Amino acid sequence: MRRLLAILLLLCLVAPARPASQEVVLVVSADSPLQELDSVSVRKLFLGLPVLIKGSPLRPLRNRSDPVLDEIFLQQIVAMSQPNYDRQILIGVNRQGWLRPTEYGRSSDLVAALQADPYAVSFMWERDVAHNPRIRIIRVLWSD
Amino acid sequence: MERLVSSLSVRLISVVLVILAALVPPLYLGVSAIVRDGYAERFVNSLRAYSRLVADELEAIDGPDFERRALAVLDSAVLSGQVVFAEVRDDTHTLRSTIATPVYAPPRDDFHFGDQGDQIYFITHRVNRSDHPVFVRLGFDEVPTLERTAVAQRRVLIAMAAFVASSIAVAAWLSWVIARPMVRLQRAAQRVAGGDTHTQLDVGSSIREVQELNYHLEHMRRELVGANERLSLEIREREVSEQKRLDLERRLLHRERIATIGTLAGGVAHEFNNIMTPVLLYSQLALEDVPAGGELADYLKRVIAAAHRARSLVMRILTFSREMDLQQPTVFLLRAPVEEALALLREIVPANIEIVFSAPLEAMPVLGDASLVHQVVINLGTNAYEAMRDAGGRLAVTLSVADDPPDSHVEPGRYHLLEVSDTGHGMEPAVLSHIFEPFFTTREVGEGTGLGLSVVHGIVTSMGGAITVRSRPGYGTTFAVYLPAASAAQRHEPAAAASA
Repeated sequence: MRRLLAILLLLCLVAPARPASQEVVLVVSADSPLQELDSVSVRKLFLGLPVLIKGSPLRPLRNRSDPVLDEIFLQQIVAMSQPNYDRQILIGVNRQGWLRPTEYGRSSDLVAALQADPYAVSFMWERDVAHNPRIRIIRVLWSD
Repeated sequence: MERLVSSLSVRLISVVLVILAALVPPLYLGVSAIVRDGYAERFVNSLRAYSRLVADELEAIDGPDFERRALAVLDSAVLSGQVVFAEVRDDTHTLRSTIATPVYAPPRDDFHFGDQGDQIYFITHRVNRSDHPVFVRLGFDEVPTLERTAVAQRRVLIAMAAFVASSIAVAAWLSWVIARPMVRLQRAAQRVAGGDTHTQLDVGSSIREVQELNYHLEHMRRELVGANERLSLEIREREVSEQKRLDLERRLLHRERIATIGTLAGGVAHEFNNIMTPVLLYSQLALEDVPAGGELADYLKRVIAAAHRARSLVMRILTFSREMDLQQPTVFLLRAPVEEALALLREIVPANIEIVFSAPLEAMPVLGDASLVHQVVINLGTNAYEAMRDAGGRLAVTLSVADDPPDSHVEPGRYHLLEVSDTGHGMEPAVLSHIFEPFFTTREVGEGTGLGLSVVHGIVTSMGGAITVRSRPGYGTTFAVYLPAASAAQRHEPAAAASA
């Protein structure tokens, strides 16, 4: 009996742990005055439209460090295809004078930029944010 | 010829087919991909926007009436036509649209058109609520987009097929346009090669290279025609020259033969004259010594008459051989002795022979002996009369002016031409070559001496002229006598001319 319990315990330890659910979260600097942002404002922000917080415009940073993250950004945040997003950005920048979101291909650069500007807003995997006290999550955008 | 057409066409079409075979499949695949991606992009774009809208609408719903209003939103989404699956769930329970088609929903969402192969695009949005988050999941039907893509790809395929067909047709037409003038050019070249060098090469093509080829071939043809004509002309000239040379040789031989015969005959005539002189002298002396009216006197008279005929014959032979003592040459008008001779001929020829005389009004002075011209006309007229004696005919005598004599052995200058033509039986070429030879005759034995034309030849030659004859058996004969015209000085100084 004791041997059986030991085997069961061993199996429980050896069996692969169920992967934790992944989440994509909207993040800002820990110093940011931004506390909450609804989904429409998020779309406006990443389409280049000016979104003001206490009179200051937020600065969108697009995270392009992960292709999957890119797909989630298009499907969940701006809710359009890549060509359409490119067209909208082009139209907004050229016709309306909006700002093109700054793109970062490396997470470290993105985090640095995010920490440097309290009005910067970006998105990333929740697991990447968990151990960084200088970055704050303000909204869950997508969960697996 | 056909081989050229088919070869060019087949080659051109083959090249086009090879190019199309290399280009059309990737082109079709590329266009199909663009079409497919375009439809997919539009589908994904619209469903993302729509699902986001639904999620935002659900997020705006709050309060105890959430389930009922959320169900209304889900049903509304299904009724829009595109959505075939719609549900809202949280950790405890699920709210699903009752009018949606019951389909299997995989646990994972789609991120691309056609993911998971179930022909439904699933998308899930997180809806933040005040108490706890919920998740709205929508499934969009991919079949209409797949059908539109298939229709568009079929249209692309049809367009490609039309493009291939039109390309082959254009290639065939182009090969025909190129080959047709070349075939015409080839046919024309074959005609030229076959000897038809006078057909102009004109293919009427608008292709510059073909036009230039046509131009050069036409230039070659013209050069060939020119060379042929020059060659033909040269051959004709050589033939004429050869004929003239042969004619001159023949005339030279003839003249030499006549001259030889004349010399021989002249020598014989001299000797004969010397022999006849004592015969005639002693016969006359003997006649004076014999009684008149006797038989002996009669015999002597016959001897004397025969001797006179013999001397006459000798004189004619000497005339032919030009050793006769000519009278002093004088300037006379040619018309006068001719008319006198014709008057005499009119007396002796029968009525079935018509004598016609024509002469220009101008004076035709000739230096020589008028009596000899008279004899020439008599001899030629007599011959003509003999040729027409049986059937009758027309004896024509004409005078005219000739600038050059036909015989190169006489001096060039102005000549008067005396032509005597008859419509008698004519002469064969074999006879013509001997007619000026002495004692040559076609008459029966005893009917002629064969000296008439020899004497004419001797007279004309002694006057510095020339004589030719044309004859055609069955049609008649024409003698042309060229006598040198007297110069102005000879006419005004007849004495000086006579002494010269």
